[in-house]
Amino acid sequence: MGTLTIPLSRIEGHARVVVHFRGEEVISAHFQATELRGFDYFVQGAPAEQMPVIVPRICGVCSTAHHIASVKALEHAYQVTPPPKAVRVRELMMLGQLIQNQATSLFMFTMPDFPGEEGLPSLFHFGAEDASLAPKAFQVRRAGTNLITLAGGQFIHPIKAVVGGVTAGIPAEAAARMHRELADTLPLARQLFERYWELFVGLKERIDTLGDDAPTYYLASVEPGHAYYGDQIHVLAPDGKREASFPACDYRQYLTEVPTETSYSDGTLFKGQLLRANSLARVNMLPRMGTPLADEYLTRFREEWGHPAHAILLFDVARGIELVYCLERAIELLEENLAEGDFRVPYTPRDGEGCGLVEAPRGPLIHHYQINKGLIEQVKFVIPTQHNILAIERALEVAARRYITERGISLELERAVGRVVRAFDPCIACATH
Amino acid sequence: MSTSFAVLQLSGCAGCEVSLINAEGWFQEQRLAYMPLIISSEDVPEVDTLLVSGAVRTDEDMYRLRHAARQAQRVVAVGTCAISGGVANLGDRPEVRELFFADNERRHVPRLLPKPRPVDAAVPVSLYLPGCPPTPELFMAALFDREGFEGSKTVCIECGRKKTRDRPKDLLGSQSGEVDPEICLINQGYLCVGSSTRGGCRAPCTRAGNPCVGCRGPSDGFISRSSQEWFDAIKKVFQRMTDIPEEQIDQAVRSPQLALFVFQFADYAAVPRDVEKVL
Repeated sequence: MGTLTIPLSRIEGHARVVVHFRGEEVISAHFQATELRGFDYFVQGAPAEQMPVIVPRICGVCSTAHHIASVKALEHAYQVTPPPKAVRVRELMMLGQLIQNQATSLFMFTMPDFPGEEGLPSLFHFGAEDASLAPKAFQVRRAGTNLITLAGGQFIHPIKAVVGGVTAGIPAEAAARMHRELADTLPLARQLFERYWELFVGLKERIDTLGDDAPTYYLASVEPGHAYYGDQIHVLAPDGKREASFPACDYRQYLTEVPTETSYSDGTLFKGQLLRANSLARVNMLPRMGTPLADEYLTRFREEWGHPAHAILLFDVARGIELVYCLERAIELLEENLAEGDFRVPYTPRDGEGCGLVEAPRGPLIHHYQINKGLIEQVKFVIPTQHNILAIERALEVAARRYITERGISLELERAVGRVVRAFDPCIACATH
Repeated sequence: MSTSFAVLQLSGCAGCEVSLINAEGWFQEQRLAYMPLIISSEDVPEVDTLLVSGAVRTDEDMYRLRHAARQAQRVVAVGTCAISGGVANLGDRPEVRELFFADNERRHVPRLLPKPRPVDAAVPVSLYLPGCPPTPELFMAALFDREGFEGSKTVCIECGRKKTRDRPKDLLGSQSGEVDPEICLINQGYLCVGSSTRGGCRAPCTRAGNPCVGCRGPSDGFISRSSQEWFDAIKKVFQRMTDIPEEQIDQAVRSPQLALFVFQFADYAAVPRDVEKVL
């Protein structure tokens, strides 16, 4: 039996792909997460109210999502409802999180895969024609981190969401400045996305596939007009019909964890079936995006690839639609008065159980806490990347079969493996935590 | 000043890399030769500077670090995990450790070391960039001439909350109830360690009402001293400013439940660092 170990780059964290084959027959393709810190163990005994400060450290890329999920889990346990304006500020944090993440995934992780016969090692290797790409990509990404800083206090490991609300609103002048910055960023993001789309179509023509396109279940906590704040979790069936909707704490009735011995990240099934989360799940689930420019892109996307769309490389294009949506949505929210009003309600800590949900860049993220005597007794982090682990492995098998044939192993295999994994934008620090 | 550098990421959260990307200023003038997060390349080439983030958590981390360090003129330990093992050291308690290893040793992936170790437990380090994560300014100071770079003081100095004569009688813990927006958190009875924590972050946590958990490590005065001296200094601050019984403070600082911040200092006492090497 042959074994190929393919290292991965341009993803968040440490992972590799191991393909087993016999002759031209592909036996398995495993996606192995190779790091582990043990957050669900070492937070045991921590003061519950300190969780929103500890858990952002699960991931420096997704720290905002963990920060807010944590606060929402405590609010669920304490039965406290934050005022609407506090929710708005948190939504702006999430939109900043998405802008930062989608810009990074689009332009730094995946776009270098598209040009020429072999792709490029990085964003910095584009030719003269795309010389302005890197500085523009940095600028779009920075708009996202600036938005997190404004709403969340700092762009990595933010601190402004607290039980009962947020520590402060957004002063009118700062909101106006941010509004201008986002308005200036939007056309840049569109230019970059147009170029991205063009190169993506070029790639499709060269490799003549968009990868695994078998219909699948999709998981996302989005509704029209949403801002990644997460209310209910929805499941879309492979035929595009709504299959189920459930609150965060019911996750065990729908999602089962599949243990593995070859990775520090387990996978997830929906009622025994393979599922997918992340950008394509959201775009498939929403009837429309709800902002003008994003909706234009969505129409174009659906004309080209249908609805629901299933080919995995479309996760990449869906991320671009979301980048435009998040910029437009954040501009809308910044037009509201977030300077004055109620940003915080008092609360009484109590023991018990609570679940907090947000729609993180990679899908629904749940923090589930059990609190005893004010201390964390047990936690469960339900991580979006885990929902995609089995879908990644199926897509890797599809790619391996395409490029391991009676003629031998094509050099395209390694590139295809990179493209498959990056389409799902897995976050290994989160998945293993 | 370096002209080429590499970024080796061990077991961490990538927050340090995100902060480096936000520093931006380097990418026109410096050759980034290796950084798997954003560049696909085979192996660490010869470089002037190797930035290492994350803790040494697995035997693969240990191997990759020792392998990469040979390629560099100097090694810079970046962030709390690389300097002291980081937040995962909260699990360095017998009851947690046992459960953790029992659950995870079955996996056929890189073997976990008994505890997360700092980078200088494996290779010599020329410079330390403290912070969780270090600010973009620190990255620029590490990669370019340090001329004009001002060393940071303490979080307390950067915080700017008003100190009062209020002397709380009980410790409120780390976060609880409504926080006064103007008054020093210690005057309100919160367990804040900003008085001996390295600044440079501009105190966003304490300004927002969250007590400092010490994520940037000890200030200059405590870097090369034992953790006992550091604990004593915190106690003295509370004795001076509050009527909270000494036992309460002592217990809070030492218990793994309340003294979350101890995680950053776990290894400082074992390997005292030269103040000159800490930015």
